[in-house]
Amino acid sequence: MTEVMEQTPPALHGPSEKERKYDRQLRLWAASGQSALESAHILLVNSGCGTVGIETLKNLVLPGIGKFTIADEAIVSDSDLGVNFFLDESSRGRSRAECCTELLLELNPEVEGHWWPEPNASSTFDGFLQTSEPFTTIMYSMPISPERLRLLQEYGKEHQTPLVAIHSVGFYGYFSVSLPGTFPIVDTHPDETATTDLRLLSPWPELSEFAKEMTKNIDTMDNHEHGHLPLVVILLHYLDKWKQSHDGAYPIAYQDKIAFRNMVSDAMRRDNPEGGEENFEEAVGAVMKHVVKPDLPGTLKQVFECSHPDSQEARSSFWIIADAVRQFYEKNDRLPVTGSLPDMKALSTVYIKLQNIYKEKARRDAAEVLDLVRSAQGGEDVDPAEVEQFCSNARFIKLINGADVGVKSLAQVTEQELGNDEVAAIAGPEMPFSLIPIYLALTSTSHTGTATAKDIMASITERVPAAAGKERILQAAEEVARSGGNELHNISAVIGGMVAQEMIKIITKQYIPIDNVCIFDGIDSRCQVARL
Amino acid sequence: MEDKSANAGTEVPAPAAAEAPAPSHLEKQEQHQNAQEQPQQPPQPTQQQSTQRQPPQEQVAPTKSTPQRRPQVTPRDRFNHQSLGVSLNSNVKQARVLMVGAGGIGCELLKNLVLTGFGEIHVVDLDTIDLSNLNRQFLFGHEHIKKSKALVAKDAAQKFNPNVRIVAHHANIKDAQFSVSWFRGFRVVFNALDNLEARRHVNRMCLAADVPLVESGTTGFNGQVQVIKKGVTACYDCTPKEAPKSFPVCTIRSTPSQPIHCIVWAKSYLLNEIFGTSEDQAVFDHSEDAENASEIEELRRESQALKKIREAVGTPEFPRMLFDKVFNADIERLRSVEDMWKSRRAPEPLKYETLMDQAKDATAAKSSVLANDQNVWSLEESLVVFNDSLERLSKRLLELKNAKEESAPEPVITFDKDDQDTLDFVASSANIRSTIFGIDRKSRFDIKQMAGNIIPAIATTNAIVAGLCVLQAFKVLKGEYSEAKEVFLTPFAPARLLAPDRSREPNAACPVCGVFNTAVTVDPSRTTLHDLVDGLLRKHLGFSEKDFVLNNEVGILYDPDETDNLPKKLVELGIGDGSFLTVIDEDDEDAWVNVVISVEEGSFGEDESPFQSSSAEHPEIPRKPKKAAPAETNGAADQNGDDAVEEVGAPKGVKRTRPDDDGGQPLKKARMAESAGDDIVVIEDAGGAIVIGDD
Repeated sequence: MTEVMEQTPPALHGPSEKERKYDRQLRLWAASGQSALESAHILLVNSGCGTVGIETLKNLVLPGIGKFTIADEAIVSDSDLGVNFFLDESSRGRSRAECCTELLLELNPEVEGHWWPEPNASSTFDGFLQTSEPFTTIMYSMPISPERLRLLQEYGKEHQTPLVAIHSVGFYGYFSVSLPGTFPIVDTHPDETATTDLRLLSPWPELSEFAKEMTKNIDTMDNHEHGHLPLVVILLHYLDKWKQSHDGAYPIAYQDKIAFRNMVSDAMRRDNPEGGEENFEEAVGAVMKHVVKPDLPGTLKQVFECSHPDSQEARSSFWIIADAVRQFYEKNDRLPVTGSLPDMKALSTVYIKLQNIYKEKARRDAAEVLDLVRSAQGGEDVDPAEVEQFCSNARFIKLINGADVGVKSLAQVTEQELGNDEVAAIAGPEMPFSLIPIYLALTSTSHTGTATAKDIMASITERVPAAAGKERILQAAEEVARSGGNELHNISAVIGGMVAQEMIKIITKQYIPIDNVCIFDGIDSRCQVARL
Repeated sequence: MEDKSANAGTEVPAPAAAEAPAPSHLEKQEQHQNAQEQPQQPPQPTQQQSTQRQPPQEQVAPTKSTPQRRPQVTPRDRFNHQSLGVSLNSNVKQARVLMVGAGGIGCELLKNLVLTGFGEIHVVDLDTIDLSNLNRQFLFGHEHIKKSKALVAKDAAQKFNPNVRIVAHHANIKDAQFSVSWFRGFRVVFNALDNLEARRHVNRMCLAADVPLVESGTTGFNGQVQVIKKGVTACYDCTPKEAPKSFPVCTIRSTPSQPIHCIVWAKSYLLNEIFGTSEDQAVFDHSEDAENASEIEELRRESQALKKIREAVGTPEFPRMLFDKVFNADIERLRSVEDMWKSRRAPEPLKYETLMDQAKDATAAKSSVLANDQNVWSLEESLVVFNDSLERLSKRLLELKNAKEESAPEPVITFDKDDQDTLDFVASSANIRSTIFGIDRKSRFDIKQMAGNIIPAIATTNAIVAGLCVLQAFKVLKGEYSEAKEVFLTPFAPARLLAPDRSREPNAACPVCGVFNTAVTVDPSRTTLHDLVDGLLRKHLGFSEKDFVLNNEVGILYDPDETDNLPKKLVELGIGDGSFLTVIDEDDEDAWVNVVISVEEGSFGEDESPFQSSSAEHPEIPRKPKKAAPAETNGAADQNGDDAVEEVGAPKGVKRTRPDDDGGQPLKKARMAESAGDDIVVIEDAGGAIVIGDD
């Protein structure tokens, strides 16, 4: 069959070659995520053994990042060849940035790659940063000079650029994500079952009418009809009954919900041939989860309350929509309806009607929010699709606050973790030890390739006095000293996979990136994420 | 392409299998030699012996140093030496390992193995490279499309460490050449596979050979790694795996209520009836047929009538004939069965003529309709694609017919998710049928995922999982099984990212690893079944006081009432190199677990015993756990590969949890099965969601 296929010009039918190449990832982050990737420009500031950064880049070049630049002054040596896959025999003695760029580009012809310093370029690192096109994200591998780190941090602040620090030594590693200001994510890809919001306690007129109409003969209808009432209709009917016998109050307290659940269960017909009804069982099962008051999730409350002092940021479509949704919420005392309806036992025709009732309500709510958006300053150009997405994902929107507000100091976090470890020592293997010692030991060598265990301990206790004399911290310091600042390819490959994953989340603004440090222990194949 | 991976040969119909290039001669020869040299070795050597036995540097090494002799550290190896430590590093340098699968996880793994310096790496993969692999399988480029994954991966990886020996096999891991004794020659085996069946096979082989297996899989952002060591940790089959989904015939043919029902109809029924051999049975669940006997009979008649139309393939009338048959006449017939539509919306038949009139605009915009992957086609647009894909497929079929040799079988076209013609036909037919039944239409992009059981796959997840595989292999090399972890990627638990767990213990009732494995060397043209039953089982293994049954993959060879085979030579019974025999203890009390014997060939002198056992005399065979599964009926199948998917997994007739199809639900996000990696593939003809990833 292949021969014939080749005779047909591919342009005539089917998705483009690029769509076919990226098919398996488009199913995760869709065309919107892909186009964000393709317009991104990544800077890697490489140093040390330089493998972990290149492994990360490989994982970004493959899915089609737009552009990358490697800044690295190192010349390729024999030991580089043993640890870095993107260097071969012919690379020896040449610029590491240039060789890696060349080999990485072979992975994907769609990607553009640059390197610094080019021969004869007299520009300083600072000059290079200032004259380059803006970078979407910057990652740098340790060790790095304090001066260079300062330049990158200034750049990040000035251009609102996310920075990712990576350190891989022996079996240990960590990476640290610094997001500029507030970083909102609308498309968090929540689990589909979690997104259901049936509004059983605040039904709108059309929904109530529909349920009333369907259940007006509930006691006399035949078994077939009774056994196909959708759970939404069943619950609305019995909630109404409940209210009549409870002074108009809904079952909110746990005890009341139990009683309500029994009420629904008792209403199930058991004298039929099946001895029960699937739809009623579904309704009984849905009571605890779906008979709930509409609430405002903490994450969204945080968005509503977030002050965004940066005026430029405040006019971004996200904040304009967030403000409109807040107004909607204040006016209606509920969030916009999401419009999704889960699978349930029902006749096809009934299910589709019910589905349309939810969809129509979601559409009207989104339209109301859009009106609010349009009337806000700068809201004229906001894409209605973005408003719809915000409305349907509202309960799952996540705001990562990059600013260091209320964050505990390293010393405080360490003391807390060491305290937990005392419990862990008694609790046994179910409670793992903290990986903070690895982070402390590695950050002691942020600016220097090698150090003795003694030097490392001195640096740790200077920052965290409580660390003095702690056995596990000393062990981590010795392990880092033993590795002599060298990378293991395999460990860097794992960390490179994890860093690239987080970079993709940040660039596509989909899924929730870690906040903000991930420590990896390759001896135990274990990670810990901490806010540091 | 991925569909054919390890399934070819068993699952895929002949034409598709024939498309896969034959294994290269060179590699075949090499394997052959390998297989031949094995029987001369002492049976069941310890792992240490088996590694040393293999000269790790057979080829002329381009560098002067041989790592295992010289403690000196080359600059290239400096970091490994320093961080792994001398003992582990030299263990790694001497290790001979097998990697099954050179796809998503495989490419990453091979890179890691090469740079960690594993001494000798064998790579087995049947698959060829496809465009959709290139977003993650970084050892492959555009110029490699349609070439062997194993061979290209070897060439690409080799130049990054000349001290490592890589041997590539473009072949199916289930081939007989990859015998138990061949597996025994490896220190560690890595599974980097994309399908259940091949995973199960390697699991069984590693258990039989007692070689540790590092099993891995990925699906989207999720992934998993586990170490399987016989008797120490749980094996792949210790927990039951999700079975392929199937649908009642009537749901697909008469009363669809979800998009997937129409997609399965288009793919497994319509496409096959017109261009394939016949309806694709695997996907149909016949357990309810009896209740619907009259409808089933009608459906049979309908299929017969459709076969007649098939004669008209390629004629200008064909699209109209087909359309009016399946979207009009058959629908009218269904409508007339009034009982069926009491609680369902009755389908609305369509007329080709009428719809063509409405489709003028869509016809004019044909090329943009065909290029539209993500949006849902209208009914009229679906018709345009239906006609166009039918034309393309008819043309192809006629060309195949003209090109075929006299004696060759009739050519067929089968579904392949990356074959645009079949995908267009399935997508458009499914959408037209959905419209008729009042079901939501889907975009071609979504239909491709559902029909092809595509599991999302990305470089990052594979990179993480492959790296974790090597970390687990370090524990294996050090013999620290208690330190080996079963690691899960938990991308949506932002406090962890990785969740390592202690390895699970073997399930005593597991039909695959809860057995006693042993091996026997025989001369099939001389050794008789009596030699085995009396000499090996009764005298040597200690079955003399017991009632037992001896099975092979075909059925019973011997039981106390079935003694006819005893005088026969093994060759007459089809037993030879690579065969598995299962002994089932029939005692009610204190019964032994099943004994699985892997057969290897050798020759013996006239005065020597006609077989040689790998076990010591009267080995300690464990007792069956109290609540033993009734293993008698399928005991043989448990170890003997090919049909194990059906036997071990849930049988085909498994009912869906919601047998009533009245609910017109939206299709749930396809939750593909368990582990995956790369491309997913599914067992091609299991229209439902069997799983599987990574190739």
